[in-house]
Amino acid sequence: MFRVYKTPKPPPQPSAAQVLAGLIAQGATDLLGIPDNASAALFDLASSDHRVRCLTVTREGEAFAVAAGLWLGGRMPVVSIQCTGLMESGDAIRGTAVRMGVPVLCLVGYRGYAKMLRAGIDPGSVPADHGELQRHDVDSAAVHLLPTLGAWAIPYVFLDPEREAESIRAAWVRARTEERPVAILLTAPLAAD
Amino acid sequence: MLTTAQLLEPLAARRTDEVVVTTMSTVRPWGRYSNHAFDFASADSAMGHTADLALGIAMAQPGRTVICLNGDGSLLMSLGTLVTIVESGVTNLVLIVVDNGAFELTGGQPVAGAGRVRYGEVARACGFRRAYSCRTPQEYASALDQAFGQAGPTLVEGHVEPGEEGPISRGPAEEAAYLQTSLYDSARALREALGSPPGRGQGGMPDTRQPGR
Repeated sequence: MFRVYKTPKPPPQPSAAQVLAGLIAQGATDLLGIPDNASAALFDLASSDHRVRCLTVTREGEAFAVAAGLWLGGRMPVVSIQCTGLMESGDAIRGTAVRMGVPVLCLVGYRGYAKMLRAGIDPGSVPADHGELQRHDVDSAAVHLLPTLGAWAIPYVFLDPEREAESIRAAWVRARTEERPVAILLTAPLAAD
Repeated sequence: MLTTAQLLEPLAARRTDEVVVTTMSTVRPWGRYSNHAFDFASADSAMGHTADLALGIAMAQPGRTVICLNGDGSLLMSLGTLVTIVESGVTNLVLIVVDNGAFELTGGQPVAGAGRVRYGEVARACGFRRAYSCRTPQEYASALDQAFGQAGPTLVEGHVEPGEEGPISRGPAEEAAYLQTSLYDSARALREALGSPPGRGQGGMPDTRQPGR
C-alpha cells in the first residue's frame, strides 16, 4: 500500500473505488500516469485490480503518447496526472491525443485549488497581474490550470462528489463523441476507502 | 557506418505482419520500401514521443511485434521512455535508434551528445532484455536475427550516416502512401487494420463525423 496524504479539510470527494468502478463501467482498460495526492488512492487500488492495467510513466507527456498507442491498438486508456504534469505535457497532448483525435479521459489533480479559493482568486480567471503568479499564498499551478485547458481547447468537468459515475460517463461520452481528450478535475484527494 | 538504405532494406525484407512506426529521417525512406497497412508515420505529431506511442501499440497488441524506427534526437527528448518500456513489461517491442548524431530534418545540426552517447548501453542499464550497437551491415543483420527471433524489449542502435531528408508534410504532394492522409485518418486506418472500429461508435456513440479531415 502507498501512503496517501490527507489535506486538513479536504472538500468531499468520492472514494477511489467509486471512481475506478465508474471508469471500468465506461470501458477503461488502462490507467497511465504519475500519482499525485489526488489520485494516489486510485493508483493504489488500480495496481491490484485485474480489470485494468496500471502503468507509471517517467514524465506526464509520455502518458498521452502511450495512451494514443493503446487506443490505436484497440484499448481504452485513462490518463491520471497532476495539473503541473498536464502543463508539461503540452506538445504530447497536441501532437497525439488532439491531432489523432484520441478519446482519452484525463483525471487531473487540481493542485492548490483550495488555496486559490482562500486567496480569493476565481479559478477561471486569467491572471491580470503577473504578481498573482508569485504570491506566497497562491499556488501558481492552480492559477494556470483552467486558462491552460482553455488555450489548448481541452474540455473539462469537475468531479461531482455526489454523482461521480455520471461525471465520468458524461466526460467520456464527450471524449468519444468529439474524438478528443477531456479532463476531469480532482480538487481534493480521492478517499482511500 | 550504415547508410539509411542499409538500415531499412534488410528490415523491409524481413518484415511480415509487424507494426512499423517511423519518425523523422526514416519516414519518407521507409515509404519507399513499404506500403503496408501496419505502417504508421509519427509525422505531424508530437516531438520526441514516437517510442512511447509505439509502446502503447505494443501493450495493446501483445501478440504482434511492434518495430519503432526512432531518431537519436527524438529518443533524447524522452529518454525516460526507455524506463517506461521496461516498466510496462512488454516483450514485443523493437526500438531501432537511427543514431546519425544530427537533427537531419532541420539541416543536420548535431544533437546533444552526438557521437558520445551509447544508446545500447543506456537501454541495458534501463533493463532492456536485448540491446545491440551496429556499425556494419553484418552486425545489423545479426541484431535483426535476434530482434525478430527473441523476446524483448530490444533496442538496436544503428550508426547511420546523416542523410538529407527535409521537413515532412502530409498530403498528396508526399510520395509515401502513408503520408498522403492526415494523422487523424492514418490513426483510424491503423486502428481498423489492427482490428478495432476506426473511431466513433465506441461505447454506443453514433459515428457522424465527416470523412477526410
